[in-house]
Amino acid sequence: MEQTLPTMVFALLSVLLIGLSLVVVTARSVFRGAIALTAALGVVAGLFAFLGADFVAASQLLIYVGGIMIIMLFVIMLSQRPQDQYDRQTNEQWVWGAFFALAVSCALIMQFRSVYRGIFATTVAMPTTASIGRLLLGDMVVPFEAVSLVLLAALVGAVYFGLDDKDRT
Amino acid sequence: MTVSLHHFLMLSAILFGIGIFGALTRRNVLGILMSIELMFNAATINLVAFNRFLHPEQVWGQGLVIFVMTLAAAEAVVGLSLVLAIYRNIKSVYTEKMNILHG
Amino acid sequence: MFELGPILSHAFQALQAWVIGHGVPPMGAWILAKAIQVGVVVIGVSLVPMILVYAERKVAGFMQARLGPMNVGPYGIFQTLADGVKLLFKEDIIPVGSDRLVHILAPMVVVSPVFVCFAPVPFGKGLVPIDLDIGVLFIFAISGISTIGVLMAGWGSGNKFSMLGGLRGAAQLVSYEIPRVLSVVPVLMFYGTQSLRGIAMSQEGLWHGFLPRWFIFYPVIGQLAFIIFIIASVAETNRTPFDIPEAESELVAGFHTEFSGLKFALLFLAEYAYVFLSSAMAVALFFGGGEGFTLGGWIPTWVWFLGKTFSIVFIFLWFRWTFPRLRADQLMQFCWKFLLPWSIVNITLAGLMILLRK
Repeated sequence: MEQTLPTMVFALLSVLLIGLSLVVVTARSVFRGAIALTAALGVVAGLFAFLGADFVAASQLLIYVGGIMIIMLFVIMLSQRPQDQYDRQTNEQWVWGAFFALAVSCALIMQFRSVYRGIFATTVAMPTTASIGRLLLGDMVVPFEAVSLVLLAALVGAVYFGLDDKDRT
Repeated sequence: MTVSLHHFLMLSAILFGIGIFGALTRRNVLGILMSIELMFNAATINLVAFNRFLHPEQVWGQGLVIFVMTLAAAEAVVGLSLVLAIYRNIKSVYTEKMNILHG
Repeated sequence: MFELGPILSHAFQALQAWVIGHGVPPMGAWILAKAIQVGVVVIGVSLVPMILVYAERKVAGFMQARLGPMNVGPYGIFQTLADGVKLLFKEDIIPVGSDRLVHILAPMVVVSPVFVCFAPVPFGKGLVPIDLDIGVLFIFAISGISTIGVLMAGWGSGNKFSMLGGLRGAAQLVSYEIPRVLSVVPVLMFYGTQSLRGIAMSQEGLWHGFLPRWFIFYPVIGQLAFIIFIIASVAETNRTPFDIPEAESELVAGFHTEFSGLKFALLFLAEYAYVFLSSAMAVALFFGGGEGFTLGGWIPTWVWFLGKTFSIVFIFLWFRWTFPRLRADQLMQFCWKFLLPWSIVNITLAGLMILLRK
């Protein structure tokens, strides 16, 4: 009885997540797919909170929902035409694609069930912000600085690709 | 039935499979980018689940998740600006129109 | 003596014990207590915009040398009720060429996060709905979800002008989030915690016997952080002078032109609730949130908190009738070329101050 609430919450979150991601890959209107993806990313943040990773959950919402999805919705809104609602969105290789995706996920699932069965969480979840801060500036400081260079390169690249032809010299 | 590690891993495997299906079969380039974001999220669920169940006193999994999210953001930004640049030239975002380099 | 915190916690514990005594499992009793707390917060957050709408019209009137609403009820205090009834009875129009689902969902996506954001706000001693360890980050993350609602509203309106208005509004919201978050970083650096209750409690006591230990009294960084936070919050809530996305007297269409009746009421409620949330955050972060001379318990902390919050809300209302509206490009330039560099300078100065203190 102690465990039915976490189990119900996990079941609800997984069903929502799988349903929303199916909408993402099959929706006829790309905008609706993007809204479903935003909701799916929110559910993933909920899963992180369920796992006790509070800082990562808030970062997921801040970065993915509040950043990446807004840019994606911008580009979708700027590049859509009215007849897109009536075309089909999956190409003619969808049978092979589905077969391959099913094969990969079944292989992963069988592997996980056999090796990692029966491991339960033994500790209470503690707040993680201080530990993550110490880790990022302690053991992981080199990737931390390197990723800032990656972001700079991405920023310069995105601005350059966004320039009009007459601005480009 | 307590929630244990392999439940989370199965969930992320299913999500990864759905992402692969989307990346292989969508005609719209933005749909492909969205499916790639789904695959990134499957990987991050895996990382956090392993961190919580196998090494609860450390936070390496969650630190790596921060990096994955940052890199996913950088990749999405560059990809989307490329899509916009292509759209400006050929006025379409469908993959079958992007075949100028076709042999 | 009038402190609500201990009274409420005793009441909830008694309620849970009574419910458990009648055979409900402990988890069910806990859920019931939390549901009641959530209901109280939701009702409170829905009622405050009604007061704020009336306050705004009165303040506008007095600043323009007129009286404001006076007809409905004594001194016009039932004006908001009349407005609400009018909006409820309006016809619900969904444009023909739009995406129906997106049009119906957009106001919900805009308004739902604001109720969640009030969870970590400390309304007084012992009056936090839930004391999150990531309170500040949580509020910023959840309020970013409303931007998706703005984009959905632009798309769901079915005409290009609304879509461009939505894009411009979303660009403004995303741009001003950055100085807003960065201006709060010096506060986090000084108090070492992201929990709003912890930050508010660290600001109790007096310096030299007369100056309260609020963050705003720290030299340079306190005032700079507060000014950047307030300006960025005014921009985040789409208030004048930053209200290009919804300017009634300027644009042919903003992102919420096609929303009538209850949907418009929800968007309106979201704006005023965000004003109240930003003021409550400013009070908890910069003004000590609930601390003040209690006169031996006669002025409880929640009265201090609400008083300070409504004073900051008055500043928001004051801005609207004082400054002219900024153009869209002036707005973006102001954010990226002025507020963002100054917030980064602020973080550097705060680091220097911490170093010099040691």
